Amino acid sequence: MSASKKYTYYPGCSSLGSATHLDRSLRAVAPKLGIELKEIDDWNCCGASVGHVEGGALPQTVLSGRNLAKARQQGANDVITACAACYLNTHGVNEKINNDVRTKRRVNEALGAADLSYDGDLKVRHACEVLVNDVGMDKLKEQVTNPLTGLKVAGYVGCQTVRPFAATAGGGNYDTCDQPQFLDNFIKACGAEALDYDPKTSCCGGSVSVYSPDKTLPLIKKIVEPAVDAGADVIATPCPLCQQNVEMYQDAINKKFGTNFNIPVVFYSQLMAVAFGMDANRDAALDRNMIKPLKLAELAKKGGA
Amino acid sequence: MSAIAAADGRKYDLHFARWVYQNVDGGDRLPLCMQCGMCSGSCPLGTAMDYGPRKLLMMIRAGMKAAVLASDTIWNCTQCYNSWLRCPRQIRVTSILQGLATVAVKEGYAPKRPTARFSRAFWFSVTHFGRTDERLVTAFYYFSCGFKEGIQRALANLPIARRMVKGKRMHLGAPHRVRRTADLRAILTKAEEIETREKVSEAGR
Repeated sequence: MSASKKYTYYPGCSSLGSATHLDRSLRAVAPKLGIELKEIDDWNCCGASVGHVEGGALPQTVLSGRNLAKARQQGANDVITACAACYLNTHGVNEKINNDVRTKRRVNEALGAADLSYDGDLKVRHACEVLVNDVGMDKLKEQVTNPLTGLKVAGYVGCQTVRPFAATAGGGNYDTCDQPQFLDNFIKACGAEALDYDPKTSCCGGSVSVYSPDKTLPLIKKIVEPAVDAGADVIATPCPLCQQNVEMYQDAINKKFGTNFNIPVVFYSQLMAVAFGMDANRDAALDRNMIKPLKLAELAKKGGA
Repeated sequence: MSAIAAADGRKYDLHFARWVYQNVDGGDRLPLCMQCGMCSGSCPLGTAMDYGPRKLLMMIRAGMKAAVLASDTIWNCTQCYNSWLRCPRQIRVTSILQGLATVAVKEGYAPKRPTARFSRAFWFSVTHFGRTDERLVTAFYYFSCGFKEGIQRALANLPIARRMVKGKRMHLGAPHRVRRTADLRAILTKAEEIETREKVSEAGR
């Protein structure tokens, strides 16, 4: 394998909570793909999609400002994050610091209160963009020792992973925002079957699902139902909030609509860990899914660690 | 979607429109809106909102401050970025709705909105620990609906919580926190100071 590349890793709050399985599986597969992750020291929350409401625009902005300043102290490596909201905030603030002198001045004045500063010279990248642009599908395929033959996967990308930055120069121009292909390419590279699945970028309701599930259950149903109808064994997604919403609310959907959904929702990195012949639980973290991906777990056993 | 009700004494206040153009992120392109409806048509919750983004944008331009800030449209934005990407005039609708949410809270238009209460719980966790503790935020939010509803909603979600704990996706100890919380708070306090100093929160005054 060629030399590895160093990245400064921003895991985000969900890596310690609802999406520990994303963090664990990503850290497991990264070295195999030549990705060396070094965590931002003492990182803080990015403010997600609601921080600005109570905190205000600038306090929300300086949350990412602090993370970027801390990352820069560790060197000039690209910052990488796997969480859609973390990416959106961190990348968005980074671009603003670069494009808007007023933001740069205000953020730095605030950072000064803790003797920090940041002048905008880092690149902030989504893990999926790094997999596409830095790693590439050939290198990904090289690592597959346990192809997921026969596994039918519905690739659900969600909104914020690709929107609004995937098709911009700053976002690495790695895919389109409406018909992204990268996830299906990951699935195929792992030897699984990527099903024809229409609601790729349908919205799961995001954080509105937390406080008004009544409004968003129909949205989630529109994501689950076509996957089940297409005969999927599993739904795969890159986004922590999508994973949580689509998995957690299936019971509530069943209650409300009289359906009988019980389809596992996994991260692309969990598929990769299994396809790379790694351990089902220690590396792929399959034991952390609330709806167990049984077929994927069986494939893992056959591969052996 | 309902008709636009008369708000307070000043129904139309063009200062508000100008304020949004100049101070809300994305507002600079708002005067270019041609009311095509791409935003509302693309919105996943467009039909579950009182006005929807298209109508709300026109209301801002008409200076209907009270009606805009009391609207539930700003609170049901899931931030899917459909409207942002599809707007033929490149108006960053998502960004404008986010900015309006902050103003609505600051000016007291939204004390009981679920999003506002959820955001308060979220911000508590961020400012106290530097990180989001999902347990804490959810519990705070549930109990902000009242004690009885808090208990009911907490109990209803207990099975999910149990599965999350079992799956090692919810821990049982103290909240995860940053080491340098004092630094983080100093930065946040300074940011609030700067905002106040530069008077960005005085919408339409």
